Amino acid sequence: MGKILKQIHYTPAKIERGYSNKSLYINVGDLRIEEKEVTGFMKEKFVGGKGFDLWYLWNAVTPDTRWDSPENEIVMSVGPLGGITQYSGTGKTLVCAISPLTGIPIDSNAGGYFGPLLKFAGWDALELQGKAEKDLIIFIDGNEGVISIEEGEEYPEDSHLLAEELTTRFAGSEEDKVHVSVVSSGSAAKHVLMGMLNFSFYDPRRKTVRFKQAARGGLGTILRDKHIKALVVKFKGIKPNLNNPADIAALNRIGVKYHKEMHDLDEKQNGMRKIGTANTILVMNKYDLLPTRNFQTGGDPEAVKISPEVFITQYLTQGLHDGCWYGCTMSCAKAADHFKLLTGPYAGQCVTVDGPEYECAAGLGANLGIFDPQAILEQNFYCDTYGIDLISYATTVAFIMECYEREQIGPEHTGGLDLRFGNAAASLELLHQMSRGEGFGLLAGLGIRRLKQVFVERFGADPKLLEDIGMENKGLEYSEYLHKESLAQQGGFALTNKGPQHDEAWLIFMDMVNNQIPTFEDKAYALFYYPMFRTWFGLCGLCKLPWNDIVPADNYKTDTPAKVPEHVQNYVDIFNAVTGKKIDNDELIRQSERVYNFQRVFNLRMGSGLRKHDKAPYRSLGPVTAEEYLSRQERYDKQLRELQGLDPETLSLEEKIAATRTWREKQFELLTDAVYKRRGWTNDGVPKPEHLKEIGMDLPMLLEVVEKHL
Amino acid sequence: MISVNTREQPWRDGLNVQALLDEMGYVFRHIIVRVNGEYVPEEAYARRLIADGDDVQVLHLIAGG
Amino acid sequence: MKVLTHKQEICTGCRACELACSQAYFRTDDRLKSAIRINNNFNTFHAIMCTQCGECINMCTADAIHRDKNGVVRIDRKKCVGCLGCVGFCSELSMFYSDDLLVPFKCIACNICVKACPEGALEILVSQSKGD
Repeated sequence: MGKILKQIHYTPAKIERGYSNKSLYINVGDLRIEEKEVTGFMKEKFVGGKGFDLWYLWNAVTPDTRWDSPENEIVMSVGPLGGITQYSGTGKTLVCAISPLTGIPIDSNAGGYFGPLLKFAGWDALELQGKAEKDLIIFIDGNEGVISIEEGEEYPEDSHLLAEELTTRFAGSEEDKVHVSVVSSGSAAKHVLMGMLNFSFYDPRRKTVRFKQAARGGLGTILRDKHIKALVVKFKGIKPNLNNPADIAALNRIGVKYHKEMHDLDEKQNGMRKIGTANTILVMNKYDLLPTRNFQTGGDPEAVKISPEVFITQYLTQGLHDGCWYGCTMSCAKAADHFKLLTGPYAGQCVTVDGPEYECAAGLGANLGIFDPQAILEQNFYCDTYGIDLISYATTVAFIMECYEREQIGPEHTGGLDLRFGNAAASLELLHQMSRGEGFGLLAGLGIRRLKQVFVERFGADPKLLEDIGMENKGLEYSEYLHKESLAQQGGFALTNKGPQHDEAWLIFMDMVNNQIPTFEDKAYALFYYPMFRTWFGLCGLCKLPWNDIVPADNYKTDTPAKVPEHVQNYVDIFNAVTGKKIDNDELIRQSERVYNFQRVFNLRMGSGLRKHDKAPYRSLGPVTAEEYLSRQERYDKQLRELQGLDPETLSLEEKIAATRTWREKQFELLTDAVYKRRGWTNDGVPKPEHLKEIGMDLPMLLEVVEKHL
Repeated sequence: MISVNTREQPWRDGLNVQALLDEMGYVFRHIIVRVNGEYVPEEAYARRLIADGDDVQVLHLIAGG
Repeated sequence: MKVLTHKQEICTGCRACELACSQAYFRTDDRLKSAIRINNNFNTFHAIMCTQCGECINMCTADAIHRDKNGVVRIDRKKCVGCLGCVGFCSELSMFYSDDLLVPFKCIACNICVKACPEGALEILVSQSKGD
């Protein structure tokens, strides 16, 4: 146990209709611990969760703040619906900070118990500011009303050891372990910009600590830069009425209806309870959407080796509850138990690997040309315990491997690592280098945006090729869906606030397969509605999956099955049942619009947020290379004929690639025009003052920023 | 010719919904099929014939991620 | 294991069992607080009560349901977080809840309703099976 540096006692606030109405501020530089009021203004304009995070972050930083400035904050909040137990997916913690990768606000969310326990300990939000000189542990005891900051040098770095040790220590007994949650990163977070946060929950059946991640944008890097080794919260006494909801009968009724739906339909629909999000690996492969070898193609015959069946039958323990918060009967947080590691510092040990989620199998598998479930799970484990965002890692390594195969870089640059597609051993060694802070791993940990510059300036790589194949936008690496044939999804990734993550909109089926949104206006509406709808989950502390990874049996009868109208109504009803407000579907979208536009203006304030920052790499839009074109030649030739009236027979391959590119880049620009218009922004992507007024966000602080760009 | 998700697709005598799904590579389980606006339940895929000129809609339901 | 069983052909639908159950556990005549429910289906009486099948044990999101040494499925009220997942997942529809209670309730084969039944339509069967 480390020396206690600071300790305060407080009276945990009683929760009223989803809010404790207090937030906690901790400065790890001067060890200040302060309580703040959550105001009516904050609740009205920002709701909670990501909204509160962004509000506090705005007030903490200046346009000159960089990710490693002491004033940069990690802010986390669970939102007013967070912690209810009756509905699935109600334990998400939203985390924001100025990102090391993008220089603008990142928002990332995680399951695990931390956010709900933090609220029940009396805090709607937690701000972490300042920088300590030595590693610290922050402990919040929500039953005793004690916050302490103690020295944390002696604890291990890697999350699977650290969280286990802290959980054991602060729980005091086996049965109290479920009442403790830890936020930590890992040994690599000090050496890479893509460090992530692990949010723990104790699994009493497996008797092990498990994790969900707030992975995107380098939050773990900031945590460790602040010398925070871990946050620990303890709260005992979870009951369904702790949020003191306005109408618990409504929560019970909607919850039971939903659980029944899960019981009756999941097996026939997505099988989330069996395999989780990885159920889609082969589906994506079949529809040419599984990113393969740095997003060159959408699948590979070898993908059968990493099929859901392989993971279900050979690795994942079946039949146990796998939810990352109470009441989640979707139970998708799968785990491979007794998994024997073959490499690295823990080689030979048997561990529980959380996952694989779809992104993991797609990113660490297909996108690296690695079709080996053992290697996927081993990379999954090390990314997690080392504190590395596996999406940024996978997309970055895919880029590196393509650069290597195209001889833009060579073994002389990689320290001899033969980083070809399919080389799982090389990828694992790269991870271990990131943990140790040495070799080419240090460089790789910078992410694609910075690597492009290094490869060009120091290694003499071709800048044009690297711009085309480096799958990043705003500095954030793309998540793992091939989307060249879905114009709407190209926008769904690039026309985002934080960067290309699919949590704003996933429109590929609607657009490319169903052909439901053929015009620019249709696509623009989808790129308005879905990002706003999904932003709302982040305001309230909710997970997206229970919305549409299962649907009511009669969903097909509705006019808009893709929206899952009955579930949208559930959310409106739950919100009202907890908060006692009376919102409707329109106000739900409006709540999101306020925060979404606030975040856009925040980007502007930090020197980004304009049209030029929404540009997509050409790999996202179409075939960059001859091999890519030839691999889907029939499709591209047909498009030349049908869309452009060109005769492919009369054109050389280079001409066909060029004509395709001109067309597709133009389409993306037209889409951008339409989306900005629909969102109430100028043609340069700036929220118009009259739009801010219309949505009730004509705050002087925002108008002052946008006026400079009009 | 028939229309599948508003795109033209060749038709042949005896074509049923299941055969069409197979030919299109539509293996995703979570779909809604409508022929000329009429919902076709999954149990009927193999016996529901598609006539020349029919308008088939195959809605894939996931909205992902 | 112990399990409550019901003989349809004898039952007259008097609902003495419901009353005995709700009185014993919640001191009320409200049949919505009984862990056995008699439904009248064209004058045939069906009983809905737990078969001790245990489907709810592994799905419980708080690890609060277990089978006791008599094979009876029991809810640990301290551990239960009131998510009602088990209510939605019960194939027999015999896991019950009430808005003024924080945890659901179910038949624990206690024999109180058996004694209360004037027709002898209820019986606790005891078998060697552990129920797993």
